[in-house]
Amino acid sequence: MKIKHSVIGLTVGCAISLSVNAEVLFWSTQAKPAQETQAMREQVLSSSATKVSYQANDGGPWLTRLQAELKAGSGEIGVLGALHGDFAAMNPDDLVDLDSLGLGAASATFNDLAKLGTSSAQYIPWMQASYVMAANKKALKYLPEGADVDSLTYDQLIAWASNVQKETGSAKFGFPAGPKGLKHRFFQGYLYPSYTDGVVRTFASDKAVKAWEKFRELWAVTNPASTNYSFLQEQLLSEEVWIAFDHTSRLANAFNERPNDFVAFPAPAGPEGRGFMPVIAGIAIPRTAPNMNEAKNVVKHMLDPKTQLATLRATNFFPVVDVDLPSDLPPAVQAAGGAIAKMSGSPDANPGLLPAGLGSKGGDFNRIFVDSFERIVLANQDIRAVLNDQKPKLQAIMNETGAPCWAPDAPSNGACPVE
Amino acid sequence: MTHSVASGKSIRFLYIASIVLLCAWVLGPLYLLAVNALSSPDTINQFPMNLIPEFDLESLIFFANFYGMLDALINSITVALFTMCFSICLGAPAGYALARFDFVGKELFRVIILMTRAFPLPLLALPLAVFFIETGLDDTAFGLSLVHTTLALPFAILITFSLFSGVPRELEEAAWTLGCNRFAAFRFVILPLILPGITASAIFAFVISWNEVFASAVLTIQNRTLTAFLLQNLDTAPLHLKFAGGFILVVPAIVFIFAVRKYLFAMWGISNR
Repeated sequence: MKIKHSVIGLTVGCAISLSVNAEVLFWSTQAKPAQETQAMREQVLSSSATKVSYQANDGGPWLTRLQAELKAGSGEIGVLGALHGDFAAMNPDDLVDLDSLGLGAASATFNDLAKLGTSSAQYIPWMQASYVMAANKKALKYLPEGADVDSLTYDQLIAWASNVQKETGSAKFGFPAGPKGLKHRFFQGYLYPSYTDGVVRTFASDKAVKAWEKFRELWAVTNPASTNYSFLQEQLLSEEVWIAFDHTSRLANAFNERPNDFVAFPAPAGPEGRGFMPVIAGIAIPRTAPNMNEAKNVVKHMLDPKTQLATLRATNFFPVVDVDLPSDLPPAVQAAGGAIAKMSGSPDANPGLLPAGLGSKGGDFNRIFVDSFERIVLANQDIRAVLNDQKPKLQAIMNETGAPCWAPDAPSNGACPVE
Repeated sequence: MTHSVASGKSIRFLYIASIVLLCAWVLGPLYLLAVNALSSPDTINQFPMNLIPEFDLESLIFFANFYGMLDALINSITVALFTMCFSICLGAPAGYALARFDFVGKELFRVIILMTRAFPLPLLALPLAVFFIETGLDDTAFGLSLVHTTLALPFAILITFSLFSGVPRELEEAAWTLGCNRFAAFRFVILPLILPGITASAIFAFVISWNEVFASAVLTIQNRTLTAFLLQNLDTAPLHLKFAGGFILVVPAIVFIFAVRKYLFAMWGISNR
């Protein structure tokens, strides 16, 4: 105890700015780009009755700090903001049950996911996004005959990218296959649902072989520098790429900076429908939060319809509660919102949910798809052989976690089987 | 004769070419960083790239208004200065001991010094953070500078060790015979000789602390350093903000190095140019 006090004394003695804070620390992995962090502070959290300090972090420091506070049994973090997958990797006991707040998303599926396999809400859905396609308007005149940009098929997309390549001399379809790119989500939420009507059950099916063959065709007309792309807005703005697939928030700058030059449109459809994946971010309170009541007030503030709209403007993530979208939203929000609405409202829509119930194995699950992509598409290995090789690894993850199937796979009793 | 003139010429050419290459290696990226930090977003996305700055301050003004920038800058400098002081106060005596005394376990000690760099910070950060929270060191510039000192200490010890080894023992002994005690001999004879080297290890300590992200991001929350504060916000930011932010991170370190550069050169025998 004496040592502890002398250390504290020394610290204070060093005359360091020890700020006394009655603020709630909002420890987040979202809205990380500088201008989004700024917008969160100035437009979203400034109207909160409780003073909030918003800190956006990389996943590593975010988790390490959180774990340290949980282990030490006390800390500074009041509210956590992260993606569903980040929370799913945590122990639900470390998060405060939030049922008493009476808050939730308009979507029952989202609220169910937020229980993390327990019987009560471990986090509250906060905002949502998805992945869409975007194109430079210059590319539109090369659309194959009879193709409607709002209801493309994979074959039409390939023909289109191939036309552009022939006319301009360079491959102008861009795919986020870089180290920080979200390529695995494309396979899990777009390619597999569109071609196999499943993700886990159908992983090594004959239909999956077809899907990968189709993706190889697409890759042949894809800009080979795609293995460096992680945020397609950059390549769209530099016009290195004319047609792109990416997360809405990773395309936003292109629309906001040159709204008249780009269009956003739904992802293409395959034989089993138009696969697409919603992305959910949530807010939670760790059991070590220094001031529980104020932290809960911040959660309430974030779910307020007005705050949800402000969040949309700040981050390009859409509200999870029912709100009427005003007409003066930023160009990126209008473009992405329109594309998402068309995608989810299309008659052949086939939503593929985020992987659920995998806990800390989420990263390994993604690895299966990334490895398959690298072996099949980049290393040009035999599709059947690669899928057969990856199949037991996928099954092992499912068995270990006992995760049941999620849409579009048919429901399962117990662990989802790889058929 | 002609042969040796020719080879003298080609050696000279090689010499100048390597100097030009080295300068380009260092200055090229810095120049591009500065040009892009001072260009408007539209210009940055243009191809081919613009090589002349247009002095558009939009991106830099964004950071001037970025909440908490000034505090973070002050924290960064505080932590770096603490790190500098600690690593010299601890490193120089250790270097002196290694150079002047024979003691049991000396070789082992030298290996252990290097071992502190063998463990990646992300591995150490969790137990450190738990300990810091429990002792109250958490979220202070003092606590963080202790961690940075650990990182900088091997350099401080090894640099000062080689400096002390380079000063003849006889000089010190002469001072003793002329009435100095051990401390006075150190103060008036040795210290002036090794001061440039001390400066060099101070620069190392400063730069190591300035550039460190992971420990800073985990161990400070309200009192973040500039690197922890900005770097995580930059990797996903649009291009023009990346350039401006990078520029802001680089400039203070360059200013510092320029301020102390003459001491650094002195160490390598080009004294005080």
